[in-house]
Amino acid sequence: MVMPSLKSINEIKELKSRIKADRDTSIPTIVISAGTCGQASGANDLIRITKRELIANGLTNRIHLRITGCHGFCEMEPSVLIEPSRVFYPKVNTENMSKIIKSIYREEILEDLLFCDPESGKPIIRQDDIPFYKKQKRTLISTNEKIDPIRLFDFLETGGYDSFIKVLESTNPNWVVQEVKLSGLRGRGGGGFPTGTKWEMLAAQRNGKEKYLVCNADEGDPGAYMDRSLLEGNPHSIIEGMLIGAFATGATNGIVYVRNEYPLAIKHLIIALRVAREYGLLGDNILGTGFSFDINIVRGAGAFVCGEETALIKSVEGKMGEPRQRPPFPIEKGIYGKPTAINNVETWANIPLILKLGAKEYSKIGTPKNSGTKIFSLVGKVKNTGLVEVPMGITIKEIIFDIGGGAPGRAKIKAVQTGGPSGGCIPIEKFDLPIDYDSLSAAGSIMGSGGMIVMDERTCMVDVAKYFTNFLKDESCGKCFVCRKGTQRMHELLEDISMGLGTMEKLDLLEELALVVKDTSMCGLGQTAANPVLSTIKYYRKEYLEHINKKKCAAGVCRDLVGAPCQSACPIGTEAWRYIANIGVGEYEKAYYAIREANPFPSVCARVCSHPCEYMCRSGTSGGQPIAIRALKRFITDRIDPSTYIPVRDKDNRKSKLRVAIIGSGPAGLTAAHYLSLKGYKITVFEKDETPGGMLTSGIPSYRLPREVINKEIDALINKNISLKTNSVLGRDYTIDELFEQGYNSIFLAMGAHKSKLLNIEGEDLKGVFPAIEFLKKFNLHGKNLAKGRVSVIGGGDSAIDAARVSLRQKNVKSVTLLYRRTRQEMPALQHEIDAAIEEGIKLVTLVSPIKIYSENNRLSGVEFIKNKLGDIDPSGRRNPVPIPGSEEFMFFDTLIITIGDTPDVDYISSMNINVNKWGTLIVDEDTLQTNRDGVFAGGDVVTGPNTVVDAIAAGKKAAVMIDRYLMKEELKQTPEIRLPKVYVPPVEVSEEETKRVTLPTIPVEERKSSLNEVELTLSVKQATYEASRCMRCDLEFIHQQKDDKKLELIESEEIYHG
Amino acid sequence: MVNLKMNGLIISVEEGTTILEAAQFMGFPIPTLCHMEGLSPYGACRLCIVEVGEGVRSKLVTSCTSLVQEGMYVRTASSRVVKSRKMIVELLLATCPQSKVIQDIASEIGVRQQRFRQEHEDCIMCGLCVRMCEEQMMAKAIGFRGRGDHRSIGTPFNIKSEVCRLCGGCIYVCPACQLRCTYTEPDKAICGGCLNLTPPCLEKEKFDNMMCYMDPCVACEIKIK
Repeated sequence: MVMPSLKSINEIKELKSRIKADRDTSIPTIVISAGTCGQASGANDLIRITKRELIANGLTNRIHLRITGCHGFCEMEPSVLIEPSRVFYPKVNTENMSKIIKSIYREEILEDLLFCDPESGKPIIRQDDIPFYKKQKRTLISTNEKIDPIRLFDFLETGGYDSFIKVLESTNPNWVVQEVKLSGLRGRGGGGFPTGTKWEMLAAQRNGKEKYLVCNADEGDPGAYMDRSLLEGNPHSIIEGMLIGAFATGATNGIVYVRNEYPLAIKHLIIALRVAREYGLLGDNILGTGFSFDINIVRGAGAFVCGEETALIKSVEGKMGEPRQRPPFPIEKGIYGKPTAINNVETWANIPLILKLGAKEYSKIGTPKNSGTKIFSLVGKVKNTGLVEVPMGITIKEIIFDIGGGAPGRAKIKAVQTGGPSGGCIPIEKFDLPIDYDSLSAAGSIMGSGGMIVMDERTCMVDVAKYFTNFLKDESCGKCFVCRKGTQRMHELLEDISMGLGTMEKLDLLEELALVVKDTSMCGLGQTAANPVLSTIKYYRKEYLEHINKKKCAAGVCRDLVGAPCQSACPIGTEAWRYIANIGVGEYEKAYYAIREANPFPSVCARVCSHPCEYMCRSGTSGGQPIAIRALKRFITDRIDPSTYIPVRDKDNRKSKLRVAIIGSGPAGLTAAHYLSLKGYKITVFEKDETPGGMLTSGIPSYRLPREVINKEIDALINKNISLKTNSVLGRDYTIDELFEQGYNSIFLAMGAHKSKLLNIEGEDLKGVFPAIEFLKKFNLHGKNLAKGRVSVIGGGDSAIDAARVSLRQKNVKSVTLLYRRTRQEMPALQHEIDAAIEEGIKLVTLVSPIKIYSENNRLSGVEFIKNKLGDIDPSGRRNPVPIPGSEEFMFFDTLIITIGDTPDVDYISSMNINVNKWGTLIVDEDTLQTNRDGVFAGGDVVTGPNTVVDAIAAGKKAAVMIDRYLMKEELKQTPEIRLPKVYVPPVEVSEEETKRVTLPTIPVEERKSSLNEVELTLSVKQATYEASRCMRCDLEFIHQQKDDKKLELIESEEIYHG
Repeated sequence: MVNLKMNGLIISVEEGTTILEAAQFMGFPIPTLCHMEGLSPYGACRLCIVEVGEGVRSKLVTSCTSLVQEGMYVRTASSRVVKSRKMIVELLLATCPQSKVIQDIASEIGVRQQRFRQEHEDCIMCGLCVRMCEEQMMAKAIGFRGRGDHRSIGTPFNIKSEVCRLCGGCIYVCPACQLRCTYTEPDKAICGGCLNLTPPCLEKEKFDNMMCYMDPCVACEIKIK
């Protein structure tokens, strides 16, 4: 069949109006997004099912099917959009597709298949109301929804080639150039060079007849695929843009240089070019106007460097893609020496839009120096990944939080990497920056082609720099010595740092080298190769220093520093993998040793630890659910008696003559006391209250940590070298000077943080208002029930949850409400504690802050609150609550418990010559725990402020080491060691299927309120064995290596023996 | 004639002169490695960089490939240039320490040591041999292959070349192996002083029992990594 070739402008206008007349836009259409990502997610199955069902049921005239390119919301693919109602169904599977087809026929909406807004929890019907789409300005990418890319008629119907016709009718090439200049369009490939100026220069080239226009579709940045979606979804828009450009500049040959790794884009482009030629829109004498232009495709061969203009030109000519020095610029001497203008795909896609709106209207989008929109590929640790089209000048924060939806889980967002491997990282503090060419380069990054990789606290910035340097090292063309060797050496240095071989000299060398590579390379690849390194060092120097000086990778990424992530995340270095592995093979005693070797309070931690190990567990970070490590620890500590473990004792006689005073018998103090006593020192522990334990007994209620358990544990720690003095208060009963006079050789201050912070609002001192510490202490230690009636708790940490759940268990309490100023996701308390509280019937009200406490008869009657919304990000990485004016609300309460943080109660300590900082905590040297007074050390909550039990235990262990070194007159600071797994425990057989985390058994809700019995129960043997078998045994990679090294040693020695 | 300012002097040279030629004419020392008179400029070694322009707009360019322009402001030894050159020399020493040419440049600039992991390669990819073969000898028998890490010089697909005329030009110009030997396969090459002159891109035979009359050229002693 011969396509009717259009021979004049009138003919194409006629064709367009015919198409429009034929089309009935009221017929419902199923639009399936089937770009590369859609197809990879299963869109082809949906298409097949739809076709089959429409034909089988004879519905092809009543319901249409449109297969399109990518719409942009890649996270939700395969997605289905219904026109004209704009109903949006995300992540459709094959079952639901049939249901959707039937629902259209019946004119229904399937509510349970709709997109659910995570903030409000409600389903959203129309695509345009979804937050991801709402804030975008989809001038380019929205056309992808409306057309089937391989049907010219679809394109014509949506206004395609209108701008080209306009341009032809103007018969004024110069006008076109001026329009593009006025619009302010800047190159979207990353350079940001004004397109109009480039065209003007090309138009001015008059030597010879041939001129080239190139569309740069090489798109080499990892993670960026904007150009791909434009080419796949709307190839004709590029052809139109290039036709307009050719007319304006007098170009004769067009080339689309597309990377070979985009087969779908190439396929659609080939079809589009063929159709355009057949219809007479490309070739000689286009539409009878005498204007001739044709476009050819040149495919790349897998080189990132060919995205650079001069290398691209070489590649088109069939030579090795190597950049060359400019001048001469491609505008004068380009392909085969002819004048050439190269523009990015997105730049070309904007051209028809500029002509359609007019330069003035177009320039209103964006900012004065950066007009128009930009498509970004938003990927990484963010909820809504995909392609977003936004006006220039929008802030990074708006893209990541309002459009991207913020962090997908608990991990806080840390930085964003823009511009691909040539770009830099921008930390969260700078997220208020507007996105435009100039402000991004001022911050040390570049806009690049539009890649945006979001990173959170589990991303290691050293690893990021290493990854990009590795990429650039492979992709460097190799011509200039500096770029080739420089990227290699930068990668080498970064590898050293990430393996624990870093030194400060190497870091300095890296920075120096990076600056030279940036300065002396010939092309853009080399000049920007230093950006990932320099920007990560600039903003995250702390991480580099940690890798070098502390041999620690806090994000848990650098394999040779981390070993097994669970062990590396634990502040006391517990080899969690070891006891889990031992549970798997039924060796419960060995498991207990693994726990007890590192932790003097195993039964306590088994119940109340904040389990940083589970946060870093690879089973969790790799997309599944983390191992229930704490519950497995509980399983062991509940079966094995502490007496099975006999700690190793030092036999040094000098030590038994030395005495250490420890102030505070909380986890930090008792841990230090225990370890020092094992070395032979004589310890006296001074405790303010009547019973030892600190926060463990006064703060944590017994339904979480039974009294018998904590008492048994403390008894096991106290030995003949430790004497405990209760009811002894520092300041009241003795001073630090007096302790030294009494013959103590060293002192460890571990008083904890037991003073509540005030809200500083009116009425805080009324009857019925309690600070949480006081409330919990009176209940846990003295059994006093202070709560009654309607109870409210203000706060979001573990103390708040404790106070709320304790109130529930007190008589005369009618209801308990927990009020927090941010949202649930930001609450610092343990997730399962919050779940338990809600399960028990506690009401959680979020986004409210108290303003005034009201009284009646000198007693609390209620509290006035104001509602908040989340505003800008503060230094902790969380969004600040911003009060909404006029949203005040009054709530009646009989009891109010306040817990917004605790501080140490150390007003007296400065008189003993110990330095205190402005937040009220003691100042110590980070590495040695020494205070400013010789021989006086401090650790735990009194130094850090309220923190977790395991951190206090870690401080106690460190203090014991430091005090021992101090008393033996050794050097306190020593280089840290990397601790990798060394013990081999054979693995168990695991199933191939994905396994779910075991549910922790608890006593039923009804039983909880009437007693203080422990809520959580122990796992059964079957449950524990199952959970242990889920462990991915990250330790085995290190042990097997050791086993192989050992084997190698043996083989080598045998060879020598045999000669 | 083009007028420009170089190192504070206002000089006047013919149009079409490169900055390097102008500097050499005026007597300002600029180290070079991949540059040779008679061969086209390449700009690979980056040693000849000079600072062009002032203030924020100043940048470093290779003087061998840049033509002089009217009103240019050139500095051949500003602190930025010297710092960069020193780092480049460190990188060169880290790759190819045995080359006398590189060692001479290092001592001129004042670099006494390098801080990277030491490698012993015998090719710095300056391209002199390629350009010699193509431009002076019109043979184009050898060229660059590969990219980045895997870049090397040799014949297409390592097949014996049919256009090589055994002139020895490639061997003559190589700076890395100072004594006219080898190009990338030292143990298969021979010093240029011997009569059995066979460029390694042709024959792949081993030459044992060679009588070598030249000073120990390190090429025979370097082991292949």
